[in-house]
Amino acid sequence: MASGSTEIFLGIDVGSVSTKMVTLDVNTLDIIDSMYIRTHGDPLSSLRVIIKRLHQMKPLPFIRATGTTGSGRFLAARLVNTHIIKNEITTHTLAAVKILPEVRTVVEIGGQDSKIIITRDGHAVDFAMNTVCAAGTGSFLDQQASRLGVKVEDMGDLALTSDSPSSISGRCTVFAETDMIHKQQIGIPMNDIVAGLCRSLVRNYLSTVGKGKPIEAPVIFQGGVAANRGIVKEFEKQTGLRFQVSPYYGVEGAYGAALLASMVKAEQPEFKGFEMLEKTFKINSFICNKCEEACSVIRLYRDGKPVSFWNDRCGMYSTGEING
Amino acid sequence: MKVTFPHLGSMYIFCKAIAETAGIEYVLPRPTSNRTREIGEYSTNESVCLPLKIILGNFVEALEDGADTIIMVGSGPPCRLGLYDRIIKIVLKDMGHDFRWLTIPGIFNWQAFMQNHEETKELRKELSFANFAKFPFAILMGWKKMNWCEHLEKTAARIRAMAIRPNEVDHMLEHTLEAIDKAGTMSSLSKAGKEGLEAFESVEKNKRPPLKVMMVGEVYTIMEPSINMDVEKRLGHLGVIVERSSYFSTHIRKGSRLDRKLLKKRKQFLDNAGRYLKYDVGAECNFSVAETIQAADEGYDGVVHVYPFSCMPENNAASVLSIAGPDLNIPILPVVIDRQDMGLRIDTQLEAFVDVLRWRKQGQIL
Repeated sequence: MASGSTEIFLGIDVGSVSTKMVTLDVNTLDIIDSMYIRTHGDPLSSLRVIIKRLHQMKPLPFIRATGTTGSGRFLAARLVNTHIIKNEITTHTLAAVKILPEVRTVVEIGGQDSKIIITRDGHAVDFAMNTVCAAGTGSFLDQQASRLGVKVEDMGDLALTSDSPSSISGRCTVFAETDMIHKQQIGIPMNDIVAGLCRSLVRNYLSTVGKGKPIEAPVIFQGGVAANRGIVKEFEKQTGLRFQVSPYYGVEGAYGAALLASMVKAEQPEFKGFEMLEKTFKINSFICNKCEEACSVIRLYRDGKPVSFWNDRCGMYSTGEING
Repeated sequence: MKVTFPHLGSMYIFCKAIAETAGIEYVLPRPTSNRTREIGEYSTNESVCLPLKIILGNFVEALEDGADTIIMVGSGPPCRLGLYDRIIKIVLKDMGHDFRWLTIPGIFNWQAFMQNHEETKELRKELSFANFAKFPFAILMGWKKMNWCEHLEKTAARIRAMAIRPNEVDHMLEHTLEAIDKAGTMSSLSKAGKEGLEAFESVEKNKRPPLKVMMVGEVYTIMEPSINMDVEKRLGHLGVIVERSSYFSTHIRKGSRLDRKLLKKRKQFLDNAGRYLKYDVGAECNFSVAETIQAADEGYDGVVHVYPFSCMPENNAASVLSIAGPDLNIPILPVVIDRQDMGLRIDTQLEAFVDVLRWRKQGQIL
């Protein structure tokens, strides 16, 4: 560690819709910096933006350990060189428990999945994720906001202005959209439609994700959708419980990953994330025809050389048995 | 006559052994690939379960490869109202394929015998005396191979969870099953099996104590890795020993009604499930519940319930299990399999489940 530079733990969460970063002070575990940006389907670029932010810290921080999470966790781990890779359910639990140790229910609605985590004595005892349907997650709110011509950030406040939410079918997003268009065409005001949408999304969550799980207070609500006050209000109305929105709701996964990194005792490999700013990285995929499975293997190049493979069912490439 | 049969884990080794030993020509369906899945998906109603789609795809590819006679295991109600095998037959006919069909009844009763009798009338003419004469030995060979396969698979599931490099175990299992498949005599068979076991024992193991879970759910989904997206292997790589009561031999022994001990055990299972289910819902529903109760009693760390999306019996079981889990104080993970289920999603759920189990057992996840 260079004198004068801060030592930090880093957490990176590469999600389907957004990419998040959190840095923690190694001694106090307080959040030093956090960042939330859109992935726009290009995790490499969004990661580069995050690394750039890190690189701009003065003096340059020394990163003691990095944790990655989210659907792009393996990619992120390869690029920054870490072995601390965790699923988002566990990292969300770690963060929620850190914020509110006595929490009993964690409700998380992100870009493409929603989860419920039941926690007791500071750890998860049960959880559920949406199964084959992404109805009622952030992406859908996003889509509908742009279709209705309102900012997704304003949807919640717009919903709160409604006294008589219109009934919108929430079972399937395609039909929900059909229903909303219909309601617009018969002249129902926008705020009632948006409020109705919030209501049906909450109903859908409770009946598909939360089904059979004991939702008990204290409840922490996190994930991008927690920013929507209309949804929070609906949750409180339908469950009769207070939903506490986490102060770090948008970057919860990254926070959890950084906390996890702080718990790992073993010596960590050197952080190589800054290479992303100097070298060129490229990803492509190819169909392996070595067997009938025909996996679409993904290949990562650094400065034109293949350095890493994944997504092969047999592990022939990812374990390094064959080199491209 | 060229027979073919569905893929169901290592069952093909059993079927192949019988056909080869009895001197019957056969076509082994190609290993399930994306193309197989697409054929099944494209040719059936969208709400039909994934196993049916994949088996249909396997048959289409086998017919393309020259098979003319399909041998399929039949099932009882309520799975597609007991017409699971017939639906495949009808769809294949609709697709314009020409073939003969033979159902091996799920349970050997009089009705099944009559149906079987009708279907085999034509086929029997094509079999020679030599085929019939070799049949008892062929069955014995198949049975022995199957027992070896299952024993090896069980051992691999145990070793994989403790191995430092679990990939190594996967390759060993693959090679050993290949050797079992190739073995032509009883002695070469047991040699291949023993060599496989020795190889497993030589694997370098880590010190982390493995977890143990019971895998319950729908039969095809449990037994065929290409349907369940390698759930067993994925859990193994996370340090979990996966056990299941459902093996191909279990179902043969159950169907043949010869193994009194097994039948008694199955009966006991149903009685146990009576705490939650007052009558037999059908298919494996009551067994999924009963096996969960047993797993809780025997101190397993958790239960993984795998079933296809839209599977009626298992959806019933899932509802019961969501109550039984907290009741019996055992974590249960429902894994619903459908075409959309990509590996990463399954990994996320399995990983989180393993974290829950480690916390319960060791008080930490690292």
